[in-house]
Amino acid sequence: MRIEIAGLTKTFRGGVAALDGLDLTVPTGMFGLLGANGAGKTTLMRILAGIARPTAGRVTVGGHDLATTAGRHAVQRGLGYLPQDLGVYPDLTARQFLDYVALLKGLDDPTVRRRRVGELLEVVALTGQANRRLRGFSGGMRQRVGIAQALLADPRLLIVDEPTAGLDPEERIRFRTLLSQFAGDRTVLLSTHIVDDIAQTCREVAVLSRGRLAFRGTVESLTREAAGRVWSLTTAGPPPPDGTVVSALPAAEGGMRYRIVAATAPGPTAQPLEPALEDGYLTVAAPERSALNA
Amino acid sequence: MIATLLYEFRMQIRKRSVWIVPALTLVLFVLIGGSLLRDLFDPAERPPEARLAVVGLAVQIHALLSIGFGCLLADRLVRDDRLRVAPILDATPASPGARLVGKYLGAGAATAVPIAVAFFGFATAYAGSSGSWSALPWALAVFGAVMVPGLLFVAAFALTVPLIMPAPLFRVLFVGYWLWGNVVTPDLMPTLSRTVLNPLGGYPMAALFDFAGIDGDDQWAGPFPGATLNFLRPEPTPLIAWLSIALLLVLAAAALTGGHLARLAERTRS
Repeated sequence: MRIEIAGLTKTFRGGVAALDGLDLTVPTGMFGLLGANGAGKTTLMRILAGIARPTAGRVTVGGHDLATTAGRHAVQRGLGYLPQDLGVYPDLTARQFLDYVALLKGLDDPTVRRRRVGELLEVVALTGQANRRLRGFSGGMRQRVGIAQALLADPRLLIVDEPTAGLDPEERIRFRTLLSQFAGDRTVLLSTHIVDDIAQTCREVAVLSRGRLAFRGTVESLTREAAGRVWSLTTAGPPPPDGTVVSALPAAEGGMRYRIVAATAPGPTAQPLEPALEDGYLTVAAPERSALNA
Repeated sequence: MIATLLYEFRMQIRKRSVWIVPALTLVLFVLIGGSLLRDLFDPAERPPEARLAVVGLAVQIHALLSIGFGCLLADRLVRDDRLRVAPILDATPASPGARLVGKYLGAGAATAVPIAVAFFGFATAYAGSSGSWSALPWALAVFGAVMVPGLLFVAAFALTVPLIMPAPLFRVLFVGYWLWGNVVTPDLMPTLSRTVLNPLGGYPMAALFDFAGIDGDDQWAGPFPGATLNFLRPEPTPLIAWLSIALLLVLAAAALTGGHLARLAERTRS
């Protein structure tokens, strides 16, 4: 399911522009979406899921125009959506909640529905907790219920917004693998703050910055954006003001060893490093970060 | 719609407050002097006809328990946003309008179950103790023609008005409205009480069940001498009674439509 976005603008009350003339094409397969808080990722996902309306611009998903009711319904029939801020009905059990969402998604045959719900409870390792009320579930368990509901109707388009938030490392890896296996000839749009999740699952990625497209390309090309801009600097003093500190580790010889993304060497003793995806992301998102830090 | 109806019913019927609120209301009513409920079982005091006894019972149950009914429903629509479930539901192909109707009927029916249990329970107990088994068909008829339209009216507003004001404020205003628009008599102040817009069902009671109070000297419908808003109190006839029922249902549908449109508008803004 190819997604075509042209001139997409979303302006909230008070004139705040969450998306500002965004142009983007998302092909079939896993596609990553990166951006700082407020970059417009969640707004974009809500529009693609048909639960928010754009102020201007055009979005088609698999040829269906989201501006029309018929188009939205056609997309939603093949959609799985995991929102960033997931909520559940605390008075239902995990099985009942999934059954309810499955009914809303059109899984009318009780046998098929029960089987599908059972399969997904197994996939997210909640079979033993299936008949417990969601009220007593931890954040991670609720997130797994959210993942299961997104996969219920075998969606052609899966939109997942911060899906690994609240999951422990093992669950995160398990879910990443699940997403990759699921993708195949489907479209999976993965929005996250966790760059490693993108590095491990996506071939292509887009970076949003202040509602605009800051980068679109392969994960490798995003990494290359930081070529010649990544430095290691060991110092006993504070980090240099220019550049973005990626990491800081106590150095064996004393002081701190900083990994810094900067256009020029941040100090006379700075050593160049091979870039990683996180460095590439910081390079293209730097204008926004500078503005946020200002 | 059916899926939402079933699950909303299931969730609401499990709420302890749905049972506790009407139970406490009834207990308090009996304790502070709800004489009719006691008189039903006193051969010397109870109304002479099963019809009168059952309609009188309906008035008391309806007037009392509908207050809790409206208050209990006030959070059902807005809670989808509060619980952050709305995005998941809105991303499904199920029509938002159908889901709203399902929620209305499912949550409304569940909240009405304790009212029905109390009403039919008292009616059955009365029939058993008096030997007037005709009370049961009368109870069914009164429940359908008087109580159900009123409850549908209340449920529609209780569900949708909290979209434009906090649910606790709605509850306070609703209790005030209920007492002003149903309990206050028209000679005291301008009120919707005893009009065709009265969800307590004055017109169906008067015109369809020939009810003028247990003692036969109450006026539940028709022009009230010296009262304002008498243009809303035509002479009670069966036709006007059905019109009154239809008006309540039309107003309920209008409230639901308004709520649906408000949610669509909110979605456009969000």
